[in-house]
Amino acid sequence: MIKKFKKYLKIWWMMSRNSFSVVINQKLALSVFLIGKILRFVFFFGFLYFLLLGNSTLAGYTSNQIIFFFLTFNLIDVITQFLFREVYNFRPMIVNGDFDLVLVRPLSALFRVLMGGADVIDLVTIPPLIGLTIYYGVLLHPSFYETVLFLVLLANGFLIATAFHIIVLSLAIVTLEVDHTVMIYRDLTSLGRLPVDIYKQPLQAFLTYLIPVGIMITLPAKALMGLVAPMGILLAFFVGAVALFVSFRFWNYALTKYSSASS
Amino acid sequence: MRKYWSIFKISFEQEFVYRLNFILWRVRNVFQILLTYFLWSTVFSSPQTQIFGYDREKILTYVFGIIVVRALVLSARAMDVSTDIAQGDLSNYLLKPLSYFKYWFTRDISSKALNLIFAAVEFFVLFVILKPPFFFQVNPVTLFAFSVTVILAILIYFFLLFLISSIPFWAPEIGWGSHFLVTVVIIEALSGSLFPINILPGGLQSVVSATPFPYLIYFPVEVYLGNITGSALIGGLMVAIAWTGVLWFAMNFVWQKGLKVYQAIGR
Repeated sequence: MIKKFKKYLKIWWMMSRNSFSVVINQKLALSVFLIGKILRFVFFFGFLYFLLLGNSTLAGYTSNQIIFFFLTFNLIDVITQFLFREVYNFRPMIVNGDFDLVLVRPLSALFRVLMGGADVIDLVTIPPLIGLTIYYGVLLHPSFYETVLFLVLLANGFLIATAFHIIVLSLAIVTLEVDHTVMIYRDLTSLGRLPVDIYKQPLQAFLTYLIPVGIMITLPAKALMGLVAPMGILLAFFVGAVALFVSFRFWNYALTKYSSASS
Repeated sequence: MRKYWSIFKISFEQEFVYRLNFILWRVRNVFQILLTYFLWSTVFSSPQTQIFGYDREKILTYVFGIIVVRALVLSARAMDVSTDIAQGDLSNYLLKPLSYFKYWFTRDISSKALNLIFAAVEFFVLFVILKPPFFFQVNPVTLFAFSVTVILAILIYFFLLFLISSIPFWAPEIGWGSHFLVTVVIIEALSGSLFPINILPGGLQSVVSATPFPYLIYFPVEVYLGNITGSALIGGLMVAIAWTGVLWFAMNFVWQKGLKVYQAIGR
């Protein structure tokens, strides 16, 4: 098991190094995208800041709590973008039949198409984002238990995000459509930039259970604020496990539908 | 004129070739509106709340106004110009007996017509589901001023798109990057799609108002709401007209310069 893990870690490192080399060679494009990503963060952060200056609370949350929700969303969003950028390149692979070349290699095809191209632009933004999250997290004065719970639920949120990306890949094999599916996933998760409590029913239930944005993003942040009941924690792990199980089953099903067209 | 009418029809039909893509794109628009709607609905949860010069009725009308104005102003095909330049496909159009600007403007109008139809359906469905308090503008002068601001916004956006799309003449590798930076990030934030510009502090508001971006969404919707009237309306229209002129001139200037360095790479 450890040997296998080491092997995949080594392969990931090699693939990421190649992906970084490609991006770093296009310095102008790298700078433009980096500036764009930073500006997008700054604009929404600034918007929340000015909004909460005029209205000190939102849905009962203080300004620091609202900003912490936003930072938690960014943390999950940016890290998954960093790890799973290759998902965005999957459609041409399926349309051209190049996926054949992945299937014949002695490594997991899912691993290759999911994690085969880490994004250096997102990597650059991760350390300052972690710094900001820690800063605003400390302002909320969490206990040790709440901090541990936040980290564990955050990891659970990453598992759900991973499951979503696997489902997007599987849908790509079945329908040949990736671009909009992955963007719809991103639009849905972007509803988690703010606590799901602000949405009315049935949208709130939809975002909590069906597309578990609430469990992915709102719940970890709430755990740090000491606002999560033990039942909620159990439910989060259950949803995480089910999402991952369903995504693997769907991937296996999708593989049986791959037609190897154009190859 | 007949050839542009044909382009309009063909472009309209082309949108239906990738029906799933188009529908999913509209679905994305609805999600974006939902975030904005529920955010403001929560801020103005009490009917008595009055902040940033808005009450609940006006802010929720602002959000619904975004649906229509976005479809009219921000639906466009002219971002594909950068691909034409970067891949050398521009040569095909330069040889044809048509104006490249008019060709893309016609395609933009076609895209706006289709998006407006879908936006009207979304508007109706969301209106029925969410039942927001809505401010109906009945003053004909205000409605006329609103129409003028929308036309100016359409022109400003078209000229902006062409300017950004001209970048690949000099740097083909950042065609999509420059669109991401300007249309996805800057215009989304500073046009008023996400939040009304007047929630910003005075100084920052003045800086943003001096750029062309608020005249795309914020200014037309505010005019519809009747929040900008009299000398403020005249002043705003003057600035929007000035930006239209400046961007038209800049677009022509940059385009002529670009054509001189165009190498039809990839052909």
